[in-house]
Amino acid sequence: MGDYQVLGKSVTRVDALEKVTGKAVYCTDIKLPGMLYVKILRSPHPHAKIVSIDTRKAAQLRGVKCILTGEDVTQKRYGSVVRDSAILARGVVRAVGEPIVAVGAETIEAAEEALELIDVKYEPLPAIFDPEEAASTNPPVIIHPDLFKYEPASSFFKLGKRLDVDRPNVVMHFKIRRGDIEEGFAKSALVLENRFTTARVQHCPMELQVSVVQPEPDGTLTLWISLTMMHPARTEFSKLFDLPVTKVRAVQPYVGGSFGRSSTRSELPIAMAMALNTGKPVKHVFNREEMYYRAGNRIPFTIDIKDGVKKDGTLMARQMNIILGGGGSAEFTVGLVARNCAFGAVGTYRIPNFKLDSYGVYTNNPIATGFRGLGTPEVTFAIESHMDMLAEKLGIDPIEIRRKNILREGEPNVTGEITHSIGSEGCLDKIVHWLKLEEKPQAEGVWKKGKGFAIANKYTLAPSTASARVEVTPDEGIVLYSGAEEVGQGCDTIMAQMVAEEFGVSIDKVKSAPNDTSHTPFDSGAYSSRQTYWSGNAVKLASQDAKRQIFEKVGEIFKVSAEKLEMKDGFVCVKGLPDKKMELTDVCGSFAEGKIVGNATFVQEFAAEDPETGQIDPKLAAEGKRLNTSYAHTAKGVEVAVNTETGEVKVLRCATADDMGFPLNPKACEQQAEGGLGMGIGIGIYEEVIVKDGVIMNPNFTDYRMPTFYQMPKNEDVKVMFSPVPHKDGPYGAKGFSEGALAGMEPAIANAVYRAVDVRIKDLPITAEKVLKALKEIEGKK
Amino acid sequence: MSERIKLKVNGITEEVVVEPWWSLAYVLREVLNLTGTKVGCETGNCGTCTVLVDGKAIKSCLFLAMKARGKEIITIEGLMDKEGKIHPLQKAFIDHFAVQCGYCTPGMILAAKALLDENPNPSEEDVRKGLSGNLCRCTGYVKIVEAVLAAK
Repeated sequence: MGDYQVLGKSVTRVDALEKVTGKAVYCTDIKLPGMLYVKILRSPHPHAKIVSIDTRKAAQLRGVKCILTGEDVTQKRYGSVVRDSAILARGVVRAVGEPIVAVGAETIEAAEEALELIDVKYEPLPAIFDPEEAASTNPPVIIHPDLFKYEPASSFFKLGKRLDVDRPNVVMHFKIRRGDIEEGFAKSALVLENRFTTARVQHCPMELQVSVVQPEPDGTLTLWISLTMMHPARTEFSKLFDLPVTKVRAVQPYVGGSFGRSSTRSELPIAMAMALNTGKPVKHVFNREEMYYRAGNRIPFTIDIKDGVKKDGTLMARQMNIILGGGGSAEFTVGLVARNCAFGAVGTYRIPNFKLDSYGVYTNNPIATGFRGLGTPEVTFAIESHMDMLAEKLGIDPIEIRRKNILREGEPNVTGEITHSIGSEGCLDKIVHWLKLEEKPQAEGVWKKGKGFAIANKYTLAPSTASARVEVTPDEGIVLYSGAEEVGQGCDTIMAQMVAEEFGVSIDKVKSAPNDTSHTPFDSGAYSSRQTYWSGNAVKLASQDAKRQIFEKVGEIFKVSAEKLEMKDGFVCVKGLPDKKMELTDVCGSFAEGKIVGNATFVQEFAAEDPETGQIDPKLAAEGKRLNTSYAHTAKGVEVAVNTETGEVKVLRCATADDMGFPLNPKACEQQAEGGLGMGIGIGIYEEVIVKDGVIMNPNFTDYRMPTFYQMPKNEDVKVMFSPVPHKDGPYGAKGFSEGALAGMEPAIANAVYRAVDVRIKDLPITAEKVLKALKEIEGKK
Repeated sequence: MSERIKLKVNGITEEVVVEPWWSLAYVLREVLNLTGTKVGCETGNCGTCTVLVDGKAIKSCLFLAMKARGKEIITIEGLMDKEGKIHPLQKAFIDHFAVQCGYCTPGMILAAKALLDENPNPSEEDVRKGLSGNLCRCTGYVKIVEAVLAAK
């Protein structure tokens, strides 16, 4: 790694001051004169025909300005993989919480009161909630009879449609086939089969999702959105309303935590329809219950895994059948995650015979959508629990069984993609050293203790798009225009660091323009941990483009070749002649516009997989083409205490070791790593969105248990380590890893619980009830 | 029946007309335009609405505005001193990387101020207990605890 001035240093985050002083603006803080407040009447039924809607009484209420139903808005559907979502339901509702009627009123109170006065008559239809049943070839309920007529949503991901003609509720069927799976099992000394399941979880960002839409006098629409993927959203929703994209402007204030929820588009189209209909500015704010229903849940997984190993632990064959239980609409990621979760099973281990089928399925449950990790943590829960189980059955060391199967640099993985930048082993080494597995912790009264670990990877998907612009003016200095989205992960800071490094200045000399499609260039946004690599490369190239122009110009002035110039402390200098220099902002005057503009679009070619086998074309792989942008790698270690009388699980110590290629800002990396540990504790032990007959039983912070200060171990018992392996194409070797920060916690906890009390929980979360039940069963058998 | 009430916010006496069902959070954010105070749940769980009322950390989403009559309220906007210098807690949150998305931050800092005002030398356990009414999804709480201990 290079000798950098700004990069690799824990420089203060550029957004911290605004946030600690309360000056940072979030969508919810936007207020416009004459604004209407939107409240939404939602379906109480998981599957029903809408018989009639009577809004007459509500329309007469003072302050109510507009009421919209499905009949009043475009019939066109929207979506992120498949266009299956209506703005407001027409004819049929497919999940509890689906929007039926939108009211726009002068006050929130009037809007809420209006909802009470609306009378909707439904005819309930049979509903289906079990994803396995829904995924079958002959399900009792077909949720989207017109599924095969729906268009693929082209604005976000060019996945096309991967429907399964035999399964009418499947929105995506992804396959990987390599080698000969039956032969692989036949050659195995041990074949083990198990089912693992994960629960619905809510992202629980502190921010409530908000859309603000203002129709402008010149006929344009301005959107303020607390969503990510601002640019693609603008494109998709311009199309939805038949507006030229140039007539729609999207502005993104600070986002109060994404974790994947801000990939769902609700209820932005409703706000847009209301604004277009009334000609007035419109604001919709989710309440916390709506966050559970409509910001979406992490998709529940059912994973059947079958592994075949040699006596020495060498993996011979792995077969996985994965069902993703989506909701009434596929949203961003039931389609995307059904493909991408597979990479959690691809990026780490060498497996000669591999067969994977993943199915993204519709049910009449509420929306399930993107969540930090896009399926990798769930798949990892199954795999890393299984690796410990295999090791135990074989009587071999659980550390060695991982070590011997980890892919090496240059080896093909199970898609044929050539492995590059894999820090798994280094991460494993660090965790193993910290954990000291061989030292068994002593029980304390009714608390039995155990240690566990797991390794994981997290891909960043491909292809993608990112552009950036750097401008230098005498008044403003250096300003970065990048569509990279700050959702708390620190990307504004690392982008500014890159510019500062390239220009040889301190970070406070770099300003970042706020995200606004009217002046920030296209960037797909914050998902799949892509921004470090994609936005970062664009920012780096744009900076270098500006520098190239600067050196050319100053070279002419000083009559030296461009190679003889360098940037130092805000000056352009001749190398070796410290007095021959020109202040950067003075250089501006030599440019026609009085300013220097550096532009770049980062472009990289990737391969697409064969839809039948999930394999990359070997010729393309040999040329160095990949399916995915990069993989981050991680290892997690935990020590738990289990109360043998109540089943309660507590995490006493936890650690992570992460490979992010190059830690651009070490403290910022720690921030994400620690957050991942905390979220992993929550998802591993406490968190479950409980759904009964399509209704969420705990859509609030009292009954849904996300971690508080009490659930984290003491600071001295939390450790973050780095084991970076540079990526040849990542900016300065860096890769995104914020999702990898979560991966591996759940199986590490499950493995630790097993070592503590001989109880193997294969269904997340690992609640006290489940552990206690299992402990009692063990007692019963004795 | 709406009523005109006086309350002191960040040292300034404000006179506002409030409806009986308005929360203090609503008045601060929507009437006085002090949007630093956030709303995250409206059920008193998340703490993003935390402000100081007569020195005590209060969840303003559950505190009726009318009850604030005659009281001294400090919001995040009021933590800077008259010269515009930030409070040691604000500095500690910055220096110790205790801020990520920032949504919990105003409430968290004010809850921490109330804690330190009452107990200037808390242990780590005291800090966790004192801030247990404030949720954060981004940080795992690690650097928040570090920042508060550093500011004591």
